[in-house]
Amino acid sequence: MKKLLAILLAMTMVMALVACGGNSGQNSNDTPPAQDQPQENPSDPAPADGGSITLWTYPIGDWGKEEKVKAITDAFTADTGISVKVEYLAYADGDDRVNSAITAKAAPDLIMEGPERLVTNWGDKGYLVDLSDMFDDTDKSEINAAAMTACTHSNGAVYEYPLVVTAHCMAINLNAFKEAGADQYLDLENHTWTTENFIKAVDALYAHFNAPVGAVYCKGQGGDQGTRALVNNLYGGTFATAAHDKYTWDDPKNIQALEQLKGMSGITFDASLEGGDEIKVFYQGILKMAFCWNIAQQLNPNQADTGAGLTASGEEIVFMGFPSESGTPALQGGIWGFGIFDNGDPAKVDNAKTFIKWMCDSEHTVDAVKTANYFAARSAAEGTDLSNIWADNEIMNEYQVLMPYLGDYYQVTKGWIGARTEWWTMLQKVGEGADIASTVATYAGNANANAG
Amino acid sequence: MAKQSTHTMSRALQRRENISGYLFLLPSLIFFLGFVVIPMIICIITSLTNTNMHDPGMFGNFIGFTNFSRLFHDETFLEALKNTFIIVIVSVPAVCAFSLWVSSAIYKLSGPVLSAFRCIFYLPVVTGSVAVTVVWKWMYDNYTGIFNHVLKGAGLIEQNINWMGDSRYALWGIILILFTTSVGQPIVLYVSALGNVDQTLVEAAEVDGATSFQVFWKVKWAQMMPTTLYILVITTINSFQCFALIQLLTKGGAGTNTVMYHIYWTAFKLTEQAGHFGYANAMGVVLAIFIGLLSALQFKLAKEK
Repeated sequence: MKKLLAILLAMTMVMALVACGGNSGQNSNDTPPAQDQPQENPSDPAPADGGSITLWTYPIGDWGKEEKVKAITDAFTADTGISVKVEYLAYADGDDRVNSAITAKAAPDLIMEGPERLVTNWGDKGYLVDLSDMFDDTDKSEINAAAMTACTHSNGAVYEYPLVVTAHCMAINLNAFKEAGADQYLDLENHTWTTENFIKAVDALYAHFNAPVGAVYCKGQGGDQGTRALVNNLYGGTFATAAHDKYTWDDPKNIQALEQLKGMSGITFDASLEGGDEIKVFYQGILKMAFCWNIAQQLNPNQADTGAGLTASGEEIVFMGFPSESGTPALQGGIWGFGIFDNGDPAKVDNAKTFIKWMCDSEHTVDAVKTANYFAARSAAEGTDLSNIWADNEIMNEYQVLMPYLGDYYQVTKGWIGARTEWWTMLQKVGEGADIASTVATYAGNANANAG
Repeated sequence: MAKQSTHTMSRALQRRENISGYLFLLPSLIFFLGFVVIPMIICIITSLTNTNMHDPGMFGNFIGFTNFSRLFHDETFLEALKNTFIIVIVSVPAVCAFSLWVSSAIYKLSGPVLSAFRCIFYLPVVTGSVAVTVVWKWMYDNYTGIFNHVLKGAGLIEQNINWMGDSRYALWGIILILFTTSVGQPIVLYVSALGNVDQTLVEAAEVDGATSFQVFWKVKWAQMMPTTLYILVITTINSFQCFALIQLLTKGGAGTNTVMYHIYWTAFKLTEQAGHFGYANAMGVVLAIFIGLLSALQFKLAKEK
């Protein structure tokens, strides 16, 4: 009996160590870095008469910077009496935090992100409030039709009120291209190039620098819109059906593109990089092109504040559309706006709607859009023209040349989270030398199986 | 009469002491129950269900052992399990052997020198694992890392090695970091254990003509067995639960996925998939069973020794 008790006690202790083991030994300091925690604004104003709401925002342009967001939310509070408590999420762990908050029934009142999270995930699961009643006919005519469609669930509910849009693109180091004689393959006026010229340029760069000049990064899902757009554009492949009910990245055109990329000496499949890492290496001048790029990077490469459109050593960065056979790319869009969590408090929902109306459809929308550093998702807001708000910014103006190339916003396809995991895992396998056709078929099949 | 009174007083005193003892235990007990026992029970129960984060309640529908049978057909899980075992099998003996060797070499050194060595080896333990990992990440970097720089400079490689992006190297790179961050505590414990070995037994053995190896193996090693057992169990558990390194360096890619990381990914990333909490908990139960079995084996072998 004593022995049995002793064994039971020992096993309990072992199980306890299993449960707490992460805190002993080398794992005793596993606290995530402070910057990965949602940061509460320490100087949030005290609740004003109009009540208070909480906003969690991903780093969408300067909507991730406290000093910028505080300025605009303070103005909102002064105007409406509703105080706003803001928490700043990082893409690295933002989803975990939101999911944990949902599970703990402590979700924020408002969240700022794109349709792939707000519509396809949290809206689809019934956590968000339907915002349909916020759109009258004028709103619908003013808002970009593609953005409106992406923000609308297949059940007709609108789970995101769009604020800004942009087109994701790629970038090249123009100095390096000139040095290698590869600038002849670029259409710098339209910021486009053909697949044939892309291949020639990569070959010329590799011959000149004798090192990979571009990386198909695949460590994780960060910035994966770049690798998807690269593969899809090269030979005109698609990622999902137009109805967004099935993943189609196993089509022969994508396989052809992957085979082409894998066979190029100047392109490496790098499982140690994500999009953010790739930008850093490009900014350092090591890679000569980046596939994870948009206007935010063009304005402030690597978020290093060392000059718009310049690498660390001052070389010129030019944004480009992805190469395609015709030279006309189909770019991946970025749409960001606000959603409201249904926390069972109608007063909070009303306050949150007031916030959205103030930010997305009023004379203050210009400030909200400029805080994001992207383009307005609508042409006008309550009589204020938004189509020309960047007239004073040369780079933003120039970047608008890419906006007509916006392609299908397929991120709302069901099973999106699982599909992203399958995509970068597939790229890793292709990079390791697995048979491309069968690997693509396997992982695309997994994505469709997950999508149910 | 006086004897009975003393006896009654003694029992009252004993009762008071017992109550005090239990009250002192209570805070720990509450934490132990709340953060260990109850979550363990919940984990076991949910592993038999298809619960996910979108369920209104804590538990979904009871599905028996479906999650467990699914696990053993899940290639990703099996690969993660294989990687986890590789880490444990390589890391645990290496950590124990290395720390014993270092401890044997330094435990007789004079106070300040011994303290210096203990500090050096313990430094990676008290330094945050995130900070340590970031430094290693810089060293392993494919483009600017010092390892590639040195190896290329020495003419040993022509092309950079993608340490954390190539499945031929990534897992071993992680085991190396795990090793450096794991040896500190065993070294300190072994130094202490070696210092506490009964010198009369050592001298008696030497008088009887025992060689140095025999003294170590028959006398010192036997007396250090409880310490060794503790080190084995702790290192095994830490190796099984390797997570932070994977999260920070590879995110489970390049052949470094482990069960702990796969649990996290399934539970908190793949939230769209049906029954993801239950499935992740089933992985947790399987991992706990393996750790329990291995620890029981270690207890048994140590006892026999």
